This record gives sequence, C-alpha cells and structure tokens, in this order.
Amino acid sequence: MSELRLSSIETRGVPGKKRYAMVIDLRRCIGCDACMVACKAEYDVPLGVWRTWVPYRVVGTYPNVRKQFLPRLCNHCDDPPCVRSCPVGATYKVEDGGFVLQHYDRCIGCKACMASCPYNARFLLPKNRTSTDITGVVDKCTFCHHRVVQGMAPACVQTCIGRARIFGDLNDPSSEVARLVATLPTQVLRPEEGTKPNVFYIGADRNLTEHGRAVYNPPEVLERDRQAFDNHKA
Amino acid sequence: MGDFNIFHQMPWSGSYAIYFFVIGISAALFFFSTLSWYQAEFKPIRASAFYLSFLLLGLGGLLLIGDLTQPGRFLNILNPAYLNFASPLAWGGLNLISFGLVSVAYFFMLRSNNEPTGRLLGVIGSLLAVGLPIYTGFDLTVHQNRPVWNSPLMPVLFVALSLVSGAAVASFLAGKNEQLQVMLRRFMLWSAGGVGAMLISLLGTTAYGGVGAEQTFMFLTSGALGGIFIGLGILLGTAAPIALLVTPFGHRQTGILSAAVLILVGGMALRYAILIGGQIVQTYF
Repeated sequence: MSELRLSSIETRGVPGKKRYAMVIDLRRCIGCDACMVACKAEYDVPLGVWRTWVPYRVVGTYPNVRKQFLPRLCNHCDDPPCVRSCPVGATYKVEDGGFVLQHYDRCIGCKACMASCPYNARFLLPKNRTSTDITGVVDKCTFCHHRVVQGMAPACVQTCIGRARIFGDLNDPSSEVARLVATLPTQVLRPEEGTKPNVFYIGADRNLTEHGRAVYNPPEVLERDRQAFDNHKA
Repeated sequence: MGDFNIFHQMPWSGSYAIYFFVIGISAALFFFSTLSWYQAEFKPIRASAFYLSFLLLGLGGLLLIGDLTQPGRFLNILNPAYLNFASPLAWGGLNLISFGLVSVAYFFMLRSNNEPTGRLLGVIGSLLAVGLPIYTGFDLTVHQNRPVWNSPLMPVLFVALSLVSGAAVASFLAGKNEQLQVMLRRFMLWSAGGVGAMLISLLGTTAYGGVGAEQTFMFLTSGALGGIFIGLGILLGTAAPIALLVTPFGHRQTGILSAAVLILVGGMALRYAILIGGQIVQTYF
C-alpha cells in the first residue's frame, strides 16, 4: 500500500524524484561527537551553534548507569513548517531530493522559521565566523546538499565511526535507508506535529524523544550548565 | 550530571511583546478616531487619538525592524518575487504598510477636515487596523508545535487585548469629558471581560493538553512567569479592573483612570507571558 500524501510539497513516492533521508541507528552511536566536529569543519559553523548535535541523557542507577545519545539535525521534513512560515521565501524545499535549504541573501532575520521548527534545528549565525562572511541570518543543516549532488555522503555520515548514520534515497527501494526503514522498527521525532520528518531513528527511547517532566523545575546543575553555555556563547 | 549538553535560545524575545502591545494600542486608537465620525462622544479625541496612533505605529515599525537581524532587508517583505503568502508575517507586513499609508492620507484629511473622505479613510483604516492584532495572533497560532500559541483563540484574544488597552489609553486622552469616559468605561469593561473569558479557556485547554502543553501550563502558573501571567496579567490586569469598573468608584473618572492603569500593566504582562510561555519548554527539547 502506498504512503498517504497530504501535501503537494511532499517528495515521498513521487516517480523520478529522489527523497533523501537519514537513518540513525542509536544502537551503534557511541557519543564520540565526531559528526559534530565534521559538520563544524565542513561549514565553518561558529562556536555556540550547531547544525548537528548529540545530546545525551544519563539513565540507570549507580553503579549501573549509562549515557543514551540522540544525534540531532534538521529533519528535512516532507511538510516543513519553516518553509510555510518564512515571509520572504528564504527557506525552500528542493523538489528533487527533498532538501530544505536557505537563501542567505533573502533572509531578513525575523526568526519565524526558528519559532516554527519543532526540532530546534535552526539557529541564528553569530558574527564570530572565521572564514565565511555569511552572518546574522538563520542557518541549519543542509543534508550536505553540495556533497550529495556530487555523489558523496554528508560529512557526518562519512565520519561516523560506528556507522550509526546511514544516508540515501528513500524512494529507491534498493537503497540501504529504504531497506532499513522497511524492515526495522523506526521512530521519528515528534510525529504528532505532522511534519513527516526524513530522519529516522532505530532504537530511540521515549525518555530521549519526549519532553521529560524534568523540564519543569530542572535540577540546579542544569541551570548552571545553561548559564555557563550562555556565557560561553556571549 | 545534567541531561543536556546544548541549550537552545528562544527565537522571539520580550521585545516582540512590546511590539504587540504598542501596535495593538495604535490600532485601537485609530478605531476610536474613526468612531468619532459616527459617535459624537468620541469627537474630542478624534485628532489626539489619531496622532498618538500614528506615533505608536511609527514606534512599532521601528521596534519590528530593529528586531530583525538584517534590518536593512526589511523591504524584502515588499518584493513580490519573494513574498510567501503562506506566512502570516507576509500578510502582516503588507497590512502594516497599508495601514501606515492610509494613516498618512487620514492625517492630511484631518488637516482639511473633509468629512466624507474622513469617514471613508477611517473605515478603510479601521479595517486595516483590526488586521494588526489579528495578524499578530495568527503569527503565533500557526506554529503547531507551540503550546498556548497554537490556539484559534489567539487572533481574537489579541483583538480584545488591543481594544481594552486602546480604550485604557484613550481614557487618558478623554480628560474630564464625562460622556466619553462613560463610553470608554464600557469598552474597557466588555473587552476585559472577553479577555478574561478567553484566558480561562486558554488555561483549561493548555492544562489538559499534551506533555508540552501541560508543562507550559506549569510554567505559566508558577514561578516568575506565573507571577507575571497570573499575578499581573489575570488578577491585577484583568480581574481587578473589571471589579473596579463595576463598583460606584469605577463610574467616576478617578476610578476609570485607575482601572486603565491596571489594564495597561495587565495587557503588557499578558502579551509577554504568552509570548515567552510558548517558547520555554521547546528550549529544552
């Protein structure tokens, strides 16, 4: 049975069109952060902001504790709210491939796209870039569009030591991502938002993917961490 | 050990709440100036309400442009090749500019005191003016992932907040004009009542919402934000003025002006709390 298409912008199952997706196998992620470093190097991503990041949560009771990782990035949604909310069309979806990209020269910095993204995937580029003069506009992961169109894998995928990140065309039934999504139980983040993400997780735990009760009245150490993070950014 | 190693910022800071506040008052004051062509009681504030509306519109525009990280590109919003009509901000930008243009024409008409043109421009301007709180409400409503914001009540709530805050400011412009104060008292009372009813609905749907909504409810009703939302916004800025206005003291000018002060404090607090409240939980995701 074919998948239900709700929006004309969707690329799923469109004949002749690619629909790039990433599968992240959390059983393989060791939290080395090499993906974050590769992404930073690829794009000169300034300090304090990330196109991809790997938050973790410590679970268990001492001495049986472990860290759970959840690599994050733009979900290149099939129905992206950021594209809808941008007043000047600075954010757009590439029909062939499904990349959600950004016209930096159009962006007015209203941050409506940031407000509309359920995944916190977007950030404002600060002024402290070392070798790029694009600043003061909203940026995000591009699924390494420039690499993919040349037949290469995204930087984070190429560098992942555990091969936890797998990238490919979901519309191609013979691709590894299509096989993984078809044969293994996968999860997406915040499916209730109707964005139809193209980043799929294997082994994602609800403790990681949902808002925890700890958000309210967070432990003091968390607030100290946030303060230190904000000071560092400033 | 904390649960997070990266923190996210709120995209829209408190300065947006000031913009919502200022632009809402501007819209309502223009409406009261227009009303003066149809209701004789409003005639004394025809010019003053308009001039203040125009001043606040200019201030609001500056606040909005100043909050862009690329303020020099604000004209992109007028570029037909760029405009994305799926975004309420695009409609809002056009609405704001159209309202500004009609306000300029209304200014020249006021100088010439041409009644038929005044009525026409007033009605057109008032329709555009009501579009301002509506678009600001939609601006929040369309974000489906944001608790509190993603409610059909938002545009209506912002219209009611605009009307009640505008009436509060107009009551200061009215001075000792008793007939006008009576009219403005009614506007304040009924609009504040509408705001109160909507806030109760909003709190109910938020409290019984999903995990994010439930946690947002907890943020909005306790701690520092709870003090602003419940304390300043609902109790001091909505319930207290209603109670004051229905008492005999609230029928006198001093009472009306006291209620107006409370309403203005509450109007600003409510806008701030709704704006920030809808963003807190998301920063932890």
